[in-house]
Amino acid sequence: MGTARYIARRLIFSLCLILGVSVILFAMINAIGNPVEVLLAERPGITEEMIQAVTEYYGLNGSVTDRYFTWIWALLRLDFGTSIIYNLPVSEMLVTYGLETLKIQVPAILIALLVSVLISVLAATRQYSRVDFGVIASAMVGHSMPGFLLGIVLILIFSYSLGILPSYGAYSTRNPLWGSDVADALWHMVLPVGMLVFFNCATLTLLLRSSLVDVLRQDFITAARASGLPERRVVFGHALRNAFIPVLTYLGILFGLMLGTAPVTETVFTWPGLGALYIMAIQQLDYPLIMGATMVITVMLVTATLLTDIAYVAIDPRIRLG
Amino acid sequence: MLSTLAPASSPPVVAAPAPLLQVRDLRVHFHTREGVVRAVDGVDYHVNPAETLGIVGESGSGKTVSSLATLRLVPPPARMAGGQILFEGQDLLAKKPAEMAALRGRRIAMIFQNPATSLNPIYSIGAQLGEILMWHEKASRAEADARVVELLGLVGISDPGARLRQFPHELSGGMKQRVGIARALLCNPSLVLADEPTTALDVTIQAQILELLADLQKRFRMSMVLVTHDMGVVARMASRITVMYAGRVCESADAATIFNAPRHPYTRALLESMPRIDHSYTGAARRPLPTIAGRPPNLLNPPPGCRFHDRCPEAAPECRRLLPLETPVGPGHTVSCLKRGSEGIAA
Repeated sequence: MGTARYIARRLIFSLCLILGVSVILFAMINAIGNPVEVLLAERPGITEEMIQAVTEYYGLNGSVTDRYFTWIWALLRLDFGTSIIYNLPVSEMLVTYGLETLKIQVPAILIALLVSVLISVLAATRQYSRVDFGVIASAMVGHSMPGFLLGIVLILIFSYSLGILPSYGAYSTRNPLWGSDVADALWHMVLPVGMLVFFNCATLTLLLRSSLVDVLRQDFITAARASGLPERRVVFGHALRNAFIPVLTYLGILFGLMLGTAPVTETVFTWPGLGALYIMAIQQLDYPLIMGATMVITVMLVTATLLTDIAYVAIDPRIRLG
Repeated sequence: MLSTLAPASSPPVVAAPAPLLQVRDLRVHFHTREGVVRAVDGVDYHVNPAETLGIVGESGSGKTVSSLATLRLVPPPARMAGGQILFEGQDLLAKKPAEMAALRGRRIAMIFQNPATSLNPIYSIGAQLGEILMWHEKASRAEADARVVELLGLVGISDPGARLRQFPHELSGGMKQRVGIARALLCNPSLVLADEPTTALDVTIQAQILELLADLQKRFRMSMVLVTHDMGVVARMASRITVMYAGRVCESADAATIFNAPRHPYTRALLESMPRIDHSYTGAARRPLPTIAGRPPNLLNPPPGCRFHDRCPEAAPECRRLLPLETPVGPGHTVSCLKRGSEGIAA
């Protein structure tokens, strides 16, 4: 079983990769210095004894290697420590905030995928037409536009001028929309998801359109047409599946990094997600939170890469794992 | 393959039946940034039922484009610019897209030049061939599979049942071309367009594939248009030959006439420039292989007059001015050359 052995080998390699990241992460956090000193030292009324006590409380007094192994052992038991700023278990926070991020990221990627497939087909089957140039131009604009700009424009239009969509948060604190929590949550999701869809769509469309243009020029497409197959079958069945192969890698990265790629969106819309939390943790040097979030993002990316490689086998019979 | 120049079959003696395919004054233009390239510029030919027509010409003479035009599949930026394509008496250019699609693969099928690129790499042989039957003949998966196995066997593929689940990359070049031929024959078409079907193949495989095509053509009494630049291939396969140059037809006749009594200077030059097994090109008695000096004209702004005039040994002043029209010079034999009595028009 070539595939099973390949996956086993990749799993071992992935574990090594994650361990490697953990070492680098730990070393970097250590290089910043003792967080207790950074946070507390040279403030009025802080004595050397107090610093000593707090350092001991957080277990920061051992040697670097001792602390690393303590940390990694705790990680294996899914104990990420306690957030310094929030004084809550990091594992609990990662789940709560992570789910809020997934709530906007997963729909955004899936909707963007669907929309970009339709737009790419529309453009690539009319190469060099006005439609095609329009699609390329808008995708270029979307691809190069700074993220916050669209968010602010969306808020200006839909929240400020029209007043039909909320500009911040994931829930209403009072009076949910139509008295329903589900409707209220969806209502809050519209703008952040819309913004993410736009940016994902721009990049996906650029990739997919050019890949599709290449595939549509191939002989086997002319051959499929010469066999009398209907155009929709030629484009969606024969061309699109081939065109998807180079796009798969990008899609894998999109899924793998989705916990870490939303800070701009989450900041603009004050969304209680992991991206915004991560930035805040870095600014406040909440090191258990920084390390926990980094490890979760690492594991997600490594897993997504592995799944992408397996997906390649499913989509392209020429690729054999082993 | 080059050793036998004798035509494969004798010319038809009875009165010609109504042609299966009649191409009249076909024009295909490429609209490029530099201007309009007249790749096919007023081409006439016909194919009789159950015969093989060889279309010969060098690269860029418009032979491939005119066979794609028959299926109305010229790729952009090419566009049909005029003419008539009568198939079984009906003008294909006047058909609705859906009617045209119903003919493709069912009544008119095509075999492509490069077997490595003309099969979809991500579908199994059974899936991509079966799909055509399921679409055209509303066959079930099982019926389609059975028919595909039958045809794969017919084109000389061993263990056809096992090939159904194989993918193109698992087959050799010759095998892939056999699959391409099986694909063309799935629905028993009455016309098969074979575009340089052996050019991309190994020389030893070429002979096998040509033999297979000749055999299948006779067996199913199909008509075939064999597009090639290889005189050796048409000599072996075609009963009639149309010679093209720079988007126009030079000469059309039965194969024996083309090889034994060619009239057009280009046809003659083409035949002279073929290597012959009874001539020596090395050693003391060697003589150089004749070539046609110069290059084909740029079809973006073709020179006035006959397209061949600046390479023609017989060119006269009027050849630079007048475009020769196709003129009969014998039974079933037409030539476009002012020096052979063709009428010329200023163009």
